[in-house]
Amino acid sequence: MRQYIYKRLWQGAIAIVGALFIVFIAQRLSGDPVALLLPMDATEEDFAAMRVELGLDRPFVVQFGLFFSDAVRGDFGDSYLWNQPAMSLLLDRLPATLELALAGLVFAILLAVPLGVLSAAYRGGWIDNTAKLFAMLGQAMPGFWVGLLLIVVIAVKLQWLPAYGRGTLAHLILPAIALGWYPVAAMTRTLRSSMLDILESDYIRMERAVGIPERLIIWRYALRNAAVPLVTMIGVYFANMLGGAFVIEVVFAWPGVGRTVVEAVFARDFPVVQAGVVLASVVFVVVNLIVDLSYGFIDPRIRHD
Amino acid sequence: MDKLLSVDGLKTHFFLKRGVVKAVDGVSFALAAGETLGLIGESGSGKTVTGLSILGLPPRPAGRIVAGSIRLDGVELVGLSERTLASEIRGRKIAMISQDPMSSLNPVFTVGSQVAAPIRAHGLARGRSAMDLAIDELARVRVPSATERAGNYPHQFSGGMRQRVVAAMAIACKPRLLIADEPTSALDVTIQVQFMDLIESIQAETGAGLLFVTHDLGVAASLCHRIAVMYAGQIVESADVRTLYANPAHPYTQGLLESLPKLGARQSRLSSIKGTPPDPLSLPDGCAFHPRCPHATDRCRQQAPPSIDLGDGQRASCWLLENA
Amino acid sequence: MTDITRDAEITTTEGQSGFPFIAATVLTIVVVCAAFGPWLAPHAADAISLRDAMTPPAWEEGGESGFLLGTDNLGRDILSRIIAGARVSVVIAAYAILLSGGIGAALGMIAGYFGGVPDSIISRLIDVQMSVPSLPLALLFASVLPPGEGMVILVIVMTYWTWYARIVRGEVLSLRERDFIALAKVAGVSTPIIFIRHLTPNILNTMLVLATLQFGSVIVFEAGLSFLGLGIQPPQVSWGGMLSDGRNFIEVAWWLITIPGIAIMASCLASNILGDWLRDTFDPVRRQL
Repeated sequence: MRQYIYKRLWQGAIAIVGALFIVFIAQRLSGDPVALLLPMDATEEDFAAMRVELGLDRPFVVQFGLFFSDAVRGDFGDSYLWNQPAMSLLLDRLPATLELALAGLVFAILLAVPLGVLSAAYRGGWIDNTAKLFAMLGQAMPGFWVGLLLIVVIAVKLQWLPAYGRGTLAHLILPAIALGWYPVAAMTRTLRSSMLDILESDYIRMERAVGIPERLIIWRYALRNAAVPLVTMIGVYFANMLGGAFVIEVVFAWPGVGRTVVEAVFARDFPVVQAGVVLASVVFVVVNLIVDLSYGFIDPRIRHD
Repeated sequence: MDKLLSVDGLKTHFFLKRGVVKAVDGVSFALAAGETLGLIGESGSGKTVTGLSILGLPPRPAGRIVAGSIRLDGVELVGLSERTLASEIRGRKIAMISQDPMSSLNPVFTVGSQVAAPIRAHGLARGRSAMDLAIDELARVRVPSATERAGNYPHQFSGGMRQRVVAAMAIACKPRLLIADEPTSALDVTIQVQFMDLIESIQAETGAGLLFVTHDLGVAASLCHRIAVMYAGQIVESADVRTLYANPAHPYTQGLLESLPKLGARQSRLSSIKGTPPDPLSLPDGCAFHPRCPHATDRCRQQAPPSIDLGDGQRASCWLLENA
Repeated sequence: MTDITRDAEITTTEGQSGFPFIAATVLTIVVVCAAFGPWLAPHAADAISLRDAMTPPAWEEGGESGFLLGTDNLGRDILSRIIAGARVSVVIAAYAILLSGGIGAALGMIAGYFGGVPDSIISRLIDVQMSVPSLPLALLFASVLPPGEGMVILVIVMTYWTWYARIVRGEVLSLRERDFIALAKVAGVSTPIIFIRHLTPNILNTMLVLATLQFGSVIVFEAGLSFLGLGIQPPQVSWGGMLSDGRNFIEVAWWLITIPGIAIMASCLASNILGDWLRDTFDPVRRQL
């Protein structure tokens, strides 16, 4: 187990370095990185100072080294739109994004678990067919479009919930549904197929043979087994939802990291864009690491390895 | 009604897209309390499906009991609701020890909670006292230091120990009938012997009837009082164990016995029945065994043989015996 | 050893389903619109007619038969714009699929066939690529490159090549051990010929399945970028861009955000259904591609 943790930490570190490298390459791709990193009204002195800071006269490896050492300290330069360090600007907005992603995840789990379990338990029945339809639509309807439809129907026509902004729980519901929309489909499918396998397994047959009620077999004995592959997915989807939140935040005017970065792209506020990509990658890697390490709590076979 | 279990004309069929498989096709037998009946057959002969049908668990969704009767202490089980079967029959009156100990225990629950599960489900005890009963059962099947081991997970046990846990789960609610489906085929020989001893002593202690499903005539001989041989969904011969081994009547039984290695006899090679079991989707006309039978006649190819009483409780289904 | 009850055939009742005609028809329509759009559309996609602005679809009250799906705030015909948007979607999807499939398959084949150092490098590259979420990556490139089709294709290729690389690598790993490859090697067939003659034909089915599934995925991805204003730029028409325009009139003209979304959904649904069908047809056993 310890060896496994080290291995995963190492892989995570490599992934983050790789992400930094991609950001670095993108910065150079544009021609003059200094023009990217400075506001439009910067003076000639500012340019010269920045050239020295980036080490543009030095070899490529050194340039990456300089970038890297700044990056690990979280220094991606100042946002000139907001006049504060880019990373701290985004970290201020991270709680809003995490809140949204978490709410989306809760929505997805609340819907996917019953759908997946019941469609496996009553294979071919109406719940199964409904779930299949949901799964197909979930993959084909982009979350931002679902968000727009929710705004039209729930917020504008019915006026049940607010369409924009953050604050109360009511503000959270529509964006969470839009964000959780896609994972519902994928989780339902995975859960259904692993439940089908498990419900045909020898140990479930044994449990049936000693008279355990079907309700308990499905919701307790089979579901806990099916939770193992589901948790992997939850990690992957939580991470993906942090990315997906970029669009959903724009649709619902949600004051999170994603919306800030999108605005930064339009304002050519490159330090914020850089910091945003790196932050997203770090969160992605960390979430997946936590998920991998949490298997042990569900699956005793891994815990004792 | 002195019989514990009587099965009469049982038919369990599988309805597949490609056709109907008559996995069990008209099986009848009876079993008394304290008696052990061996149900013998190759893979696909329908012996496992017979056992599962008695539990009311024909493999879903394709399998269904289409005809026949299964009576336990005179009470008809076929047609009982799923809810009644689960709450009053399975585990409580009939329990199964299943084939493969490595896969028959739920990997994410402790063995103690798994043995306690039927105790709780049938309302014999709750909470902590159910766990105490489970520990008693684990001790009864001779799991060493049962109290500590109850908190362990299946992967921390050896194959033989897991099989004992499965047995503890099956006998936890003192069922009247035990169905053991190839309980030893996945174990090595010494562990097999120990486990057979254990089953015998459990049976002696509880007076339960035992339906022992196996493909292994040797194991069956050491444990069973009576034997029923299945082929292609039907019982082709049944007799008490001595008669069957001394005087097998059906050519299939004869073939099975010849393929057993005999102690002391010098055999250059193991003889076995030629050919392979028939395709369950298209059984041959007449006697299902005729393509492999050394004595097959035209009649065997056209008409299915009746079950013929040979006296001393021996019956076999074969045209050769008609005039014997 | 096993009994009849363990037979996979018997416990599985979900058989092969028939050819999905509706999905294939929808995809055909999308592709025909892309190819012959200008001749099919009733109006020019960018023909402004303020007099006809905000006409609802023809079946609604106030609708006109000349504008079957209604018009937008500038009086442009929605049907014509949907047809024009199909062209953008299909062209981008075609380039993105060819490039990501080609690059991914080539790298996957190299990793799987040679193993060792090339394999570790390519596998690490896949890991790194997969740990950068694709949308933030798209924003990064959108901020340094001129927006438009080229940038969108680049971002999609960067996101999707790993799909192909991972799966092709796995396939080639198992192919490598098979007799006909070993025989070819012993017979002195050169490595490029082994790749072209022996490996490529064997991964074509997989590639076709992945490409079909990717089509829908690319359409959704491109729509998302264009919706944010970072993808296809006006005056070029894209479904995502239409949604973005329609957003401003969300309270008065429901059709502006409904119809382009339906176009996206229908194309994606059709390609997913067809892809699933192809996968089950080519490989009924392994359904977890």
